[in-house]
Amino acid sequence: MKALQFERNLPRFAAARVASAVAGSGKGVRVGPLELVEVDALPMPGPDWVRIRPRLAGICGSDLATLDGRSSRYFEQLVSFPFVPGHEIVGDVEGGRLDGRRVVIEPVLGCEARGINPPCASCAAGHKGSCERIAFGHLRPGLQTGYCRDTGGGWSAGLIAHESQLHEVPEDVSDEAAVMIEPAACAVHAACAADIAGGERVMVLGAGTLGLCVIAALRSLCLPGALVAVAKHPEQRRLARDLGADQVVAPEEQRRAARRLSGSLALESDNGEIERLTGGVDLVVDCVGSADSLQQCLAVVRPRGKIVLVGMPGVLKVDLAPLWQREIELRGAYAYGIEDRPEGPRVTFDLALELVRDARLERLVSARYPLERYEDAVAHAASAGRRGAVKIVFDLRKAGAGSGGPGTEQVGGPQAARTTKEAK
Amino acid sequence: MSPRPGFVLEVDRSTPPTLMWHGEGFRLERLPVGTRIVYGPEPIAPLADPDAAIRHALDHPLGDSAPLSTLLRPGMQLTIAFDDISLPLPPMRAPDVRQRVIEAVLDLAAAGGVDDVVLIAALALHRRMTDPELRHALGDRIFEAFAPHGLLLQHDAEDPSNLVHLGLTDHGEDVEINRRAAESDLLVYVNINIVAMDGGHKSVATGLASYRSIKHHHNVRTMQHSRSFMDVRNSELHTSNWRMGRLIAEAGVKLFQIETTLNTDQFPEQLGFLQKREWEWTIRDRASFLVSSTALDRSPGELTRKVFHAVRAPHNLTSVQAGAVEAVHESTLANVHRQQLVEVSGQTDVLTMGLPYICPYNVNSTMNPILVACLGLGYFFNLYRGKPLVREGGVVIMSHPTPWEFNPVHHPSYIDFFEQVLAETTDQFEIESKYEESFATDPWYVHLYRTSYAYHGVHPFYMWYWCAHALQHLGRVIVVGGDRAAVRRMGFSPASTLADALEIAEDVVGRDPSITHFHAPPVLLADVT
Amino acid sequence: MTRGVRGAVRLGGAGVRFVAERPAWPGGAAAPLPERSLGVDYDTAWARRYPVRLARAMFLDDVTRPILHLALSPRVIGLEHLDPVKGPMILAANHASHLDTGLLLSSLPARLRHRTMVAAAADYFFDRRWKAAVWSFGLAAIPMERSKVNRRSADLAASLLKEGWSLIIFPEGGRTADGWGQEFKGGAAYLAKRCDVPVIPVHLRGTRAVLAKSSSRLRPGATEIRLGDALRPHEGEDARKFAARIEHAVATLADEAESDWWSARHRAAAGTTPPFRGPEASPWRREWSLPDSARKDQRAVRDRRRRQPWSRDD
Repeated sequence: MKALQFERNLPRFAAARVASAVAGSGKGVRVGPLELVEVDALPMPGPDWVRIRPRLAGICGSDLATLDGRSSRYFEQLVSFPFVPGHEIVGDVEGGRLDGRRVVIEPVLGCEARGINPPCASCAAGHKGSCERIAFGHLRPGLQTGYCRDTGGGWSAGLIAHESQLHEVPEDVSDEAAVMIEPAACAVHAACAADIAGGERVMVLGAGTLGLCVIAALRSLCLPGALVAVAKHPEQRRLARDLGADQVVAPEEQRRAARRLSGSLALESDNGEIERLTGGVDLVVDCVGSADSLQQCLAVVRPRGKIVLVGMPGVLKVDLAPLWQREIELRGAYAYGIEDRPEGPRVTFDLALELVRDARLERLVSARYPLERYEDAVAHAASAGRRGAVKIVFDLRKAGAGSGGPGTEQVGGPQAARTTKEAK
Repeated sequence: MSPRPGFVLEVDRSTPPTLMWHGEGFRLERLPVGTRIVYGPEPIAPLADPDAAIRHALDHPLGDSAPLSTLLRPGMQLTIAFDDISLPLPPMRAPDVRQRVIEAVLDLAAAGGVDDVVLIAALALHRRMTDPELRHALGDRIFEAFAPHGLLLQHDAEDPSNLVHLGLTDHGEDVEINRRAAESDLLVYVNINIVAMDGGHKSVATGLASYRSIKHHHNVRTMQHSRSFMDVRNSELHTSNWRMGRLIAEAGVKLFQIETTLNTDQFPEQLGFLQKREWEWTIRDRASFLVSSTALDRSPGELTRKVFHAVRAPHNLTSVQAGAVEAVHESTLANVHRQQLVEVSGQTDVLTMGLPYICPYNVNSTMNPILVACLGLGYFFNLYRGKPLVREGGVVIMSHPTPWEFNPVHHPSYIDFFEQVLAETTDQFEIESKYEESFATDPWYVHLYRTSYAYHGVHPFYMWYWCAHALQHLGRVIVVGGDRAAVRRMGFSPASTLADALEIAEDVVGRDPSITHFHAPPVLLADVT
Repeated sequence: MTRGVRGAVRLGGAGVRFVAERPAWPGGAAAPLPERSLGVDYDTAWARRYPVRLARAMFLDDVTRPILHLALSPRVIGLEHLDPVKGPMILAANHASHLDTGLLLSSLPARLRHRTMVAAAADYFFDRRWKAAVWSFGLAAIPMERSKVNRRSADLAASLLKEGWSLIIFPEGGRTADGWGQEFKGGAAYLAKRCDVPVIPVHLRGTRAVLAKSSSRLRPGATEIRLGDALRPHEGEDARKFAARIEHAVATLADEAESDWWSARHRAAAGTTPPFRGPEASPWRREWSLPDSARKDQRAVRDRRRRQPWSRDD
């Protein structure tokens, strides 16, 4: 069956890196180690494993980083080649308890999926994302489905998953809404990691899929005092406003906006531009994960404030003097597990499903592509913001099957390539 | 040859193209046949011996006031306040009027043996002046005598220890002014009137006041009821200031007001064609125009800005009067009208104007979009007596590049106002109620106003309110040749050319509208009947 | 034996370091305090040796003098007052600019200027080795304390005067900040009494406009050097009273410079010479009443002159 496979091929890896650096993100696909191949069905590693036929599989920022050769070498020991990417999956189950049902997959491979018994402390507490036996067990190393040779991934006609990874999708939720559950879960987890007591002034950097879901999650699950989103493109700004941001500003305005929001004083550079604030906002959520964005966070967060880093970073050169001098808390937020809510512990994916419903996040799915057109799909995902798109997915349903939810853009239609004429 | 009065020209087929200012540059536009062009009077002759005239005025005051020399005695506290960098426009050639007048006053003070003298730049909520700017306004002799000893001050409206609350007027308006000025034995104010709005009680009541005081007349309602604020008799702005001024006098502040007027000789010889009527341009003028406009087009923005802001105008003293405020101001206004008044009969559907590179609030700085709006819809629109030049529901077309550019040192609060407030709403009352307070009290803007060279946090609001009467009165505002995004942000309509603008205007005022072009600068005051 | 010598000479790794760097002082050995020989303690004797004097004479005449002439266009009045004085003298001048010393020195006749030393403020001109060297060479400077008489510099000055060196000294102790003169200190008077040499009062006009105190702007302009009659202390007159007399002499020369010799003599006789230290009034009035030549910035002066072709002063 067909699958997009990522081989271990160092020259092509390097070529992809060069191509993406020179021609831009997403352009490394053609020369990189990603290939559309025919694969055999995967053997089951143990009992409680089932086959999944994906319906929709999303393209995520971390996938783009991998394809560009930009991801950190930290992950080298946590992936096994060759693997099929794709961890945002909604599909149909074959076999097992949920045979014939539609599910979304929680891609993290914890102790249970790896057949490790007794599970480690984190897995036992429900924080599968923080599994302490990662890279061990009867699976080859792979931090998630989509990075592991033994499990396959979403960008294919079929993969396998452990029963513990499956979450049933209710009838009234469309495929597009379902495919947004995984990114929404990341956002929910980040919003809970932010630990907002109520009334804080929050700034969210980045208005791609993750940023927009974080805005929705913050608005829905927490009680921020003021929520400011930083978005570059007009479509992103409109969505940010819809999903609950109080104010949306362009990247070059963000320091001034943070200053006004917090009523703080500032230190200026020679040309009169604000270099950093002496006060600042209470919380900044970085959904970008670049050196620039992190430096911006450090410039606008108040002393003893908090930065939640949700966007996947690589090796960054960041001046940490402000972190030290102002006693700032920098906290990573990865994946999902169990969240501590006022009403009791809740599984992140359950909260994510609620969020997707309430905020109608299916409208973030901007375009669907068949596997064969993977180069265009990746290019579209890489330039999504500029092209007025948010989430790009692979559509693996047979023609005619599967519903198009509200707000979906058809590939090749006028909406998909729409760029808004509105200026700032 | 005696200077000719202003007049209204009706454009016909023989009329040459009209010069229209366009920010840091100018264009020649052919206005449609039938357009009326209002030309200001030619500059009247300045006083032959200004220093003698000044000394005469100080010795022969108007109204209920004694000559200045008799008011100066040893041991007294003297404060001399003077108008800040917003006047005159463009900045004068040395010696500045303020230098002449204050040197004359100080000569009398030295003769009178007055030791305790302080000079204060009456900034109100404007930015502080830099040392070179103070030197230019006051001259080196005064600067060297006072600045090194810390006796040359700039009014700080946010320094509570240097403000004194003198009471409330009968309309409940707070009157709070500079403490040193209020508590001196004598306060001398040196003023320059280039438009009829300046001077009178406004000099002290606004120039030396605090936000608490100023907000009583710098607000939307007052500006909407000032029709116009160039006409003291019909201006709510002035009525309020007059009340405050009278309270200041009753509170015991002894004020000796010195007011001056200038002629409209606003451009140096090389740019002389800007003063002349187009059909009277000599071959030299035409050559100058060609050379300047091509040079300006080719030069990068920074260079043209430097060139323009280095222009020093040869305008000169036409009158000087001193003594009691109200008597002095009456005489001043008569002199302003003598130079600037032009009779215009009837209103028009469409009013066009070319906006220059400078307004009172961007001397040595960038003209940002808010200041463009203020200059056109605030100042130029209101340069009338009687009725506005354009009818109610009419259209104003302004020509200016309106760049989305701000000077972060001089106008930091303007940037936030433009980016954040105008992005939400352009409605005057909403802006006033929702945002003014937070900008006025923001500690960062206060810090920059007090220690840097920044306009006060609330100042962009005042610029916006200045347009209140116009925005209420007009059907539409169109900007020719401006940055589209900036123009839209302010709620105006962008047009690429004047012809396009007139087309857009026709949607509002109908086909074949009557058009009037306001040919300024040089400044003029339309007396509309 | 050869081996032993070779062994002694051979340097190991640590040995190389020891030779290359300055050794650290071990804790057990007593360390003396570092010697300071700058400021008043700087020894300027080397600058008075013949070869150095020759070099200085050439430098002064061929380099310093022409440059100062260009920048300051000096006019010297009253050289005849120097003729009756045989032997060394003390020249006491008002001080407004760093250029004063060089100007005065290069305006003196040759026999004097090659054998005149200058009293220079120890804390300013002798605080660094290179500075001390430059001024000792160029101007034959000797270090002097500003306000009080330091024993060492007084002794040095006295001995040099006895050897026949003349001395240029600025009794104000420093340059004027506001353009008016400051009280004359007693140093010049004391030395004159002690060594029995006359004091020539000098007034320098216009140097402040060229290079004022606390200013780095140099604007070439015209200057005048006026020399007055030699003064000797009266019988039993103390240094302080003599200093006041010298100050008054300089004030008279200043009056002459601003008006003319005749009216100045009248006023001196009547006792109405304008005070050297300016009017007793607030700083702004003192600045206001400065004579034009003492103004820091001549632009204001030119502006006023341009505006009033008939000066009110005439």
